[in-house]
Amino acid sequence: MNFLRLITCGVFVLSFAVLASCDKREGGRERGGYPRSETLYLAGSQWGDPNTFNPLVEPWLVAWPANDRFNIMYEPLTAYNSLTGATEPVLGTLVSFDTERVVVDIQPEARWSDGVPVTSTDVKFIYELGKRFPQATTAYVGEFVSGIKVDTIDGGIERVSFMVNKRERNNPLAILDQLQAIRIVPAHVFEKYLTDNNNDFEAVKKIKCDDKPVVSGPYTLEQYNNERIILARRDDYWGNKVLHGGALPVPKYIIHPIYKNNDHFAVGLQKGTLDASMNFIPRINERKKDGVRTWYDAPPYFVPGSMHFLYLNNTKAPLNDRNFRRAMAAAIDYAAINRLALSNYTPAMRPGLIMPEGLEKEYFNAEEVDAHSVPLGDTAYARRILSEAGYRSVFDDRGMLRFSIGPNGDTLPTLSIRAPAGWSDWEAIVNLVVSQLRAVGIDVREGFVDGSQYWPALPSGQFDIIMRKPPVAVTASLPWNRFNAVMSSRNWRPVGDGNSMNENEGRYNNPNSPDYNKRVDELLDIIPLMTDKDSLKAAYIELNNIFLTDQPVIPVCHLPEEYYQFSTKHWTGWPTEKNPFAPPQLPWVGSGRNTLWKLQPVTK
Amino acid sequence: MLKLLRNLIKEPMFVIGMSLFLITMIAGLLGPSLYTASPNGMSYARPSAEYWLGTDNLGHDYVALLLRGLQNSLYVGFMAGIIATTIGTLVGLFAGFKGGLVDDILTMFTNLFIVIPSFVVLVLVSASWPEGRSLTLIAVLIGLTTWPWTARSVRAQAASLRGRDHISLARINGATNLQIIFKHILPYLASYVFMVFIMQVASGILSESAISMIGLGPIGEGSTSLGVILNTAKNNSAITYGYWWGIFPAAIVITMIVFALYLLNNSMEGVFNPRLRK
Repeated sequence: MNFLRLITCGVFVLSFAVLASCDKREGGRERGGYPRSETLYLAGSQWGDPNTFNPLVEPWLVAWPANDRFNIMYEPLTAYNSLTGATEPVLGTLVSFDTERVVVDIQPEARWSDGVPVTSTDVKFIYELGKRFPQATTAYVGEFVSGIKVDTIDGGIERVSFMVNKRERNNPLAILDQLQAIRIVPAHVFEKYLTDNNNDFEAVKKIKCDDKPVVSGPYTLEQYNNERIILARRDDYWGNKVLHGGALPVPKYIIHPIYKNNDHFAVGLQKGTLDASMNFIPRINERKKDGVRTWYDAPPYFVPGSMHFLYLNNTKAPLNDRNFRRAMAAAIDYAAINRLALSNYTPAMRPGLIMPEGLEKEYFNAEEVDAHSVPLGDTAYARRILSEAGYRSVFDDRGMLRFSIGPNGDTLPTLSIRAPAGWSDWEAIVNLVVSQLRAVGIDVREGFVDGSQYWPALPSGQFDIIMRKPPVAVTASLPWNRFNAVMSSRNWRPVGDGNSMNENEGRYNNPNSPDYNKRVDELLDIIPLMTDKDSLKAAYIELNNIFLTDQPVIPVCHLPEEYYQFSTKHWTGWPTEKNPFAPPQLPWVGSGRNTLWKLQPVTK
Repeated sequence: MLKLLRNLIKEPMFVIGMSLFLITMIAGLLGPSLYTASPNGMSYARPSAEYWLGTDNLGHDYVALLLRGLQNSLYVGFMAGIIATTIGTLVGLFAGFKGGLVDDILTMFTNLFIVIPSFVVLVLVSASWPEGRSLTLIAVLIGLTTWPWTARSVRAQAASLRGRDHISLARINGATNLQIIFKHILPYLASYVFMVFIMQVASGILSESAISMIGLGPIGEGSTSLGVILNTAKNNSAITYGYWWGIFPAAIVITMIVFALYLLNNSMEGVFNPRLRK
C-alpha cells in the first residue's frame, strides 16, 4: 500500500515538474516562447489553415495578413480614416483628385525590407498587372484607370497620376477606394519570379512567399502553423521616422491564433489570452467584468459602418410588387431585432440607404426620409397596405397563419428566408422577422442552409429572400458604394444566369423591362463625378427617395463594418470614443494600424 | 392479461418508468395549452419567480419552450416509432414466415439498410431539405432509417414460430399466408413488438435531438423540439457564457423520457419473457 502511495506521489510530482518546465519554455523566444509584455494576441481575420502568403493570389486563398485590405506587411498607397474621413498617407500621399485624375506622391523614403526603394515601378506593376495577366486579382482596375502617368517633381519625388477611365466606369471615387484596397508589392521580386517561371503567372501564384518575404510594412512573417501566425516587428521600418516621428510600434510580436468558432474568441478575451478580436460576441456588456471593452461604453458599443439586409428577389411574385415589399418593411420590429438578436449593437434604425450617423449623416435628410418611407415597425400600416393591394391572409383558430392569397386570387407560395446555418446573429434575426411577418399575414419561413447552398444562390439570384451584407467597405466612396451594391442595373442578368451578378443580386430595376427607371443608373453614374456638396446631397436624397419608394431590399440593422473588442488585461491605450486617436478597427485595417504605436503593456 | 398487468405493477422498475413516462406525457400533451408566457424582451434572462427557467436568446420563456418542445419531441418519437415498428415488423414477419427466396431478398434488403449508417442518411436527407423541414418530415425520415433492427429481430422470432404445430394445423385447415401471419404469428409476438416499439420511440426522440442539435432539425413556427432548444443554446454559446438554463433543463427532460422508456422496456421484458420471468 505504501509503495503504491509512493508511486502515486511520484507521478504527481513528475507531472507537476513537467508542466512547470513547459511554462518556463514559453518565457523566451529563443526557446519557442514570446514574452507577454511584448506580444499582442489578435484574432478574427484567419479562420482556416494558412496556405500561402503570396499577395498575388486570390484574397480568399491567402493567409492573414497578406490578404484582403490588411496593411501591416504589404502596404497600400493610402489609408482611409473612417472617423475623420481623411485619406492618410502610407506609401504615398494623396495630392488631389478630380473628375480627370487622382494624384499621389510616392514617399521618397519608403523602402522594401531588402533595402530597395519603393517607386512608381512597384505601383505600376500591381496596377497594370491585369493588362499582362487578365486573371490577376487587380485586373478590374483597368475599368477605372485608363493609364498611369509618372512625373518627377522637386526633390526627386515621384508624382503618380491615375487617369480616370472616362470610356468605362468614369469613377474617381472608386480609384480613391483602390488607393487603400490595393497593396503595393515589390516589382523587382515578382518580376524575377515571372522571369524564372517563363512568365507563367499561375506558376508564380504557387510560390508561397512565406520565407523572409520582401515587404514594406512595419511587421513581417516570422513563422506560422495551423494554430497561429506570428509576425515580428521590423525595427528598420521606413515609416517609423516618416509617419510616426521616429517611434517604433510597441508590440514586438503579433500573434494571430487561428480559432475555429466564436466561443474561442470570447473565452480568449475573458481569460486574457487574446487582446482583441473582430468577430460577433453577443451581450458584450456582460464581458466587462473580465476586462473586455468596446469603442463605446454603452449601447451601441460599436461604431456602425455596414448595413445588413434582407435581399428580396424582385423578379418573383409577390416580391415583384412594390406594395408587398413596403408592407414587409413596415411589419418588421427593428427594435426587437436590435434588443434580442443583436445585443443592442445597432443604433435606432432609420429607413433608407444613408446612415444618419458618422460621416454619412451630412447626406441624411430626416424630412425626406419620413415623407417617402413606410413607418417602421407599424403592423397596422403593413396590414393596410396589403389589404389595399388586394392581399388576404387566412389564419387558424390559434391565430397561426395558414396561407396568403394574392390580388388575383391565387394562393401565394411560402417564401423562404435563406441564411447560413450556424450564424447565430443572422439566425436570430431571421427567426424574429419570420414571426413578425407571419403575424401580419405574410407567408415566410426560415431557410437555414449550409454555406455551399447559401453563397452560390446570391449571384445566381436563386432565392426568395436572403440575408446579405454586401461587400461594402467603409471607404471614401460611402454611401455611393452601398447604393451601387443594392440598386445598380449595370450588370443585370436574369435569375439563374450563372454566377454573373455580384451587385443588385435581388434583380431590381430590370433595364429590359418597360418599368425600368433609368434615373437610378443615371444617379449612380453622376454621383462619383460630383464635386459640389449641395448637388451631391440633392442627388443622394433623390436616390434614397427612389429606394424608399421602391424598397428593393430591406435594411434590418446598422452594424459595425468590423467588430472590434479588446481586453485591457495585458495591453492598454486602445482607441475608444474617449481616446479616438485611431478609428475603431483592428490594427491591420486602414488607419487602425496607428494603434500599434500607442499601445502600452500593462507589465513591462 | 390482467395477470400480466398485476405482475408488471409489482415490478418497481415498471412503476418508476411508467410514473416518469406519464408525467412527461401529461406535461407534453396538456402543458402547452395550460401554460403560456409571452416573450419578456430580454435575451437569456436568469431564472426568476416570473420566469422559472429563465429565457432563451429571443426572450422566450424556457418553461413554455420546454413544454412545447416536449410535446413535439414526443410526437416525433411516437410517429417515428410507429413507422419504424410497422415497417420492421412487416418485413420481419414475412421474411421469417416465408423463408426461402423471400427471406433471402428481404434479409438482404434489411442488411443493406443496417450497413448504411442511419444517422448519416438522416443528415444527408435533412441537409438536402433546406426549406420546410417539418416535425412530420423529420419523424418520417427517422422512421424510414431505423426499422432494420426491428425487422431483423422480428424475423428471428417469426422463423422460430414457422415450424410450430399450431401453424401447421392452420395451414392444413386452409388458412392463407396473411391469415397465418396476422392471426397465428403476430399475436405471439405482440408483447415483443410492443417492447420494440417502446425502444423505437426512445430512439426516435434521441435521433430527433441529435439531428436538431446539429442544426438539421425541424424549422418553422411551432416546431420547437427539445433538440431545437439545445441547438439554439449551442449556437448562442450558452455553455461558454454560463447560461446553464439553456442546456440542462432540455438535456434532463430528454434523459428522463428515454430513461423512463428504457425502464418500461426492461420491466416488460422481465414479465413477458418466460426465461427471465421470476
